[in-house]
Amino acid sequence: MEETRIGLYVCWCGTNIAKMVDVENVAKEMESMPNVVVSKDYKYMCSDPGQDLIIKDIKEHNLNRVVVSACSPRIHELTFRKALENAGLNPYMFEMANIREHDSWVHTDREEATRKAKTLIAGALNRVRWHESLEKRTVDMNPATLIIGGGIAGISAALEIADSGKKVYLIEKSDKLGGHLLNVDLTYPYMYSAQEMIKPKIDRIENNPDIDIFLNTQIEDLTGYVGNFQTKISQDGAEKELKFGSIIVATGLRAFNPDSIKDYDYANFPNVITSVEFEAMLKSGKILTKEGKEPKNISIIHCVGSRNHDYHEYCSRTCCMTALKYSNQIRSALPDSHIYHAYADMRAFGKGCEELYTKTSGKDVIFLMYDQKNDLPKIKKASVKDKCEMLIELNEKLSGESVEVAADMVILMVAMESNDNAKTLGQTVGVSLCGNEFYIEKHPKLDPVATTTDGVYVVGSCQSPKDIPDSVSQARAAAARILAKINYGTVEVEVTTAVVNEELCCGCQTCVCVCPYTAISYDEEKNVSVVNEVLCKGCGTCGSACPTGAIKCRHYTDQQILSQIEGLLSKSLELQEV
Amino acid sequence: MSFQPTIVSFLCNWCSYTGADLAGTSRMKYASNIRIIRVMCSGRIEPTFVLKAFREGADGVLICGCHPGDCHYHEGNYKCLRRFHLLQKYIKQMGMDEDRLQLKWISASEGKQFAELADSFTEEIRNLGPCKVKEVMETLT
Amino acid sequence: MGNEEKKPKINLAIYWGAACGGCCVSVLDVHESLFDVVAAADLVFWPIALDIKYKDVEAMPDGFIDVTLFNGAVRNSENEYMAKLLRKKTKILVAYGSCSHMGGIPGLANFSDKESLLQRVFDDTESTENPKKIRPQTEYEVKEGVLDLPEFYNDVKTLDQVVNVDYYLPGCPPQTERLVEVFMAIVTGAELPPPGSVVGALVKSQCDECERKKSDNKKINKFYRPWEIEDDGETCFLEQGVICLGPATRGGCGVRCIKGNAPCRGCYGPPPDVIDPGAKMMSAIATMIDSDDPEEIAAIVEQIDDPAGLFYRFSLPSSILRRTIK
Repeated sequence: MEETRIGLYVCWCGTNIAKMVDVENVAKEMESMPNVVVSKDYKYMCSDPGQDLIIKDIKEHNLNRVVVSACSPRIHELTFRKALENAGLNPYMFEMANIREHDSWVHTDREEATRKAKTLIAGALNRVRWHESLEKRTVDMNPATLIIGGGIAGISAALEIADSGKKVYLIEKSDKLGGHLLNVDLTYPYMYSAQEMIKPKIDRIENNPDIDIFLNTQIEDLTGYVGNFQTKISQDGAEKELKFGSIIVATGLRAFNPDSIKDYDYANFPNVITSVEFEAMLKSGKILTKEGKEPKNISIIHCVGSRNHDYHEYCSRTCCMTALKYSNQIRSALPDSHIYHAYADMRAFGKGCEELYTKTSGKDVIFLMYDQKNDLPKIKKASVKDKCEMLIELNEKLSGESVEVAADMVILMVAMESNDNAKTLGQTVGVSLCGNEFYIEKHPKLDPVATTTDGVYVVGSCQSPKDIPDSVSQARAAAARILAKINYGTVEVEVTTAVVNEELCCGCQTCVCVCPYTAISYDEEKNVSVVNEVLCKGCGTCGSACPTGAIKCRHYTDQQILSQIEGLLSKSLELQEV
Repeated sequence: MSFQPTIVSFLCNWCSYTGADLAGTSRMKYASNIRIIRVMCSGRIEPTFVLKAFREGADGVLICGCHPGDCHYHEGNYKCLRRFHLLQKYIKQMGMDEDRLQLKWISASEGKQFAELADSFTEEIRNLGPCKVKEVMETLT
Repeated sequence: MGNEEKKPKINLAIYWGAACGGCCVSVLDVHESLFDVVAAADLVFWPIALDIKYKDVEAMPDGFIDVTLFNGAVRNSENEYMAKLLRKKTKILVAYGSCSHMGGIPGLANFSDKESLLQRVFDDTESTENPKKIRPQTEYEVKEGVLDLPEFYNDVKTLDQVVNVDYYLPGCPPQTERLVEVFMAIVTGAELPPPGSVVGALVKSQCDECERKKSDNKKINKFYRPWEIEDDGETCFLEQGVICLGPATRGGCGVRCIKGNAPCRGCYGPPPDVIDPGAKMMSAIATMIDSDDPEEIAAIVEQIDDPAGLFYRFSLPSSILRRTIK
């Protein structure tokens, strides 16, 4: 058997690791571990020079295994696997030890963190010895795409893909396309008409032969894998099956219901309305109170349901600018009205947005700041002498004074929150939710539209609150990703699958019903189980269920994991009593 | 003065390992006794691995997977749950405190919960004292 | 003609450690094949059948014995001494039977310890009268001199935990036909598998030979002890809720227990690559539990009265944990 020759690389990650872990000492000490041929520390292993270092060493020292001890493998495992590939080594002859997220960033004692780093590396070194070369597998890519959600994000993605001549199935749960934009009048900051934007797009969709639209439609279930998904949809009770290679989830958002904020008493004040209701009013062309009068005093309360631990911790991102847009629309419709903003911070980061803020500030609009975390404004019924319907009480933060503001109409800038069926749909398509119930992208910075399920993308506000340009950008980014894959014609599928050793399998069939993907079947003639490697997603559950040890979970073999355990628990690396 | 337990933790890639990563990116601090092994799914975790960890000197073993219903592979965490119950019963019979082995659900967004769990589990094992499996094993060889 | 070279006979020894005697009987069960055996081998040591003293073995040159079948576990100093002595005198040392292979039934003593066992035997049993609390001594002086007894160990060990073992021939007891096959392979000079291999057993586990009907319907809502259900005699025990260790146990015994309508108890040991058959079987069995509800799962698990004894009936000393701790 070929001699095992391991290269070990300990990353500083600038100061991220080096500050808490003595990386030089680690690299030096681990050099004496069995089979370690070179052991080096380097500032940034993931940088081009860092990767080149590995490639050079592989060639120079004839390495056949590589361990990089750096950040989480969820971030850079693929980067380093590619480096191995570039050096002519099988990418699976690689293992990472996570000494950043699981060590330097979470511990405070340098000596302990350094010792822990050594244990994690010892585990990785032990494990990598048992790694085996795995060969890439590809399957044909079905060029059709399923898009779930017919709002601006779904529409943009659909057009992008269909304009390239590829099939799109566009599923919408309501009875029309357009989503929330259908209810919007003008858009900030340039006051373009939402209807003028969305209507032509809907027309184009409806007339594009490559787009099949399914309104009033729900997804029943979904099976398959990247390149070859299939689903059952139900449209008005009728079921239909669709096959496609990629999925875009563009299910959008819903508005926060302000009923739960007692001091706003939305349920009882007829003229306390949400931004959604006000938008409809603008679209209808008339700003009127419930009594049918033009309001004299209009207050806009920001961050309703956002940025507060009792409701949602996050910022809904679009409400500040929408509120400014309202000021402009109110000012032109009702030139003599008094406009007040009860706001927490003004967030005006988008293109043209700060300019909108400056412009609006010059239009006789009063901004009153309140403490969003601890001291929300209160809406009270005014007395007759106040000559208005309501009063808003708030402690103005900048002046430090308590202020009362007259109001005939109060607009609550309600938060965006995830749709109520987000969880169910997420489970169907294999996308997890973050703590705020929005879908989690594969990587928050480097892979913002893909998800951990290959072939499934999340775009628009179902991923986090977004404005129109961001939603459209994401939608088109996902479309571009999909078109690239379609263009390539094939996709790589999971290679770390389970495999049955027919010499050992006794045909007990314990594994067959364990598989969530029905990837295992029983071959009666041979009396053995057989894994369909295209369907297998490599969870390894069958390997753990197999009583005979006949199923091997590639890249997560018993031997690899047991060796890692041994390494992690090497006696010399135990924590000392203090 | 105080006993420093050694803890091995098996985390599923999609939820719990990501949750532990989040604890890191959020710079939360927790006890350094815990050593993490990544598996794709908690359904991959076998009794053999857990017993091996105890034999090699772990004082506690913490298994984490996706919350029920959230498993990336649909139901691997339920398989893990079933094995966990039987395994706890077995290690108890073998003279070990069954709480040396625990199974908790940590989602990808629960970095804080993971950090707290790492601390509380470490403390619990510290109170239980050293696990004697490895020591006994050394007297046998 | 006439100058046909006669193959030299090999020297064969059979010894028992902590054993019940069944393994020796399984050797006797070769019946008429004994003639083939003695035609090919001289029995140089076999306490159950031949009057050869330890000192005779000690006097043998190293490597004098070609093959020793060592049955029984190592549970006292005499077992250990003989294991080491025979290792020195033997070319091919075979761990014969479950006890020397994995600890076997005597290995279940690892659920207890020396002191508790002695207390039970010399103090507590209902039939014991031992007011002076006499315990076995390793040395006892009588007027003729000093008598010595082996030291009783705290732990039961497998043969390979004491000496290097060349082959394992599993079973409680091993099937006699398998012994004859192995023996004839050795005497005829057939190519032997690499040292450390299991011989006289199949690579595949019991289910491969088992004729009961098997399906993928391995879902268990309730566990039954074998006497708690009326076995239909046809369906896989597991599918009837009866724990059968067949899938984690090598074939080779001819599925004798299962043919006798008793589930496999695991005496033939694990298939290749499985280091702890009890752990593998626990994993498989637990996976079959048909519930996702923690409380229901716990309740179903409770129905397995004694998982340690059940899953490690023959393999406790060779398992990962080896024994209970206090």
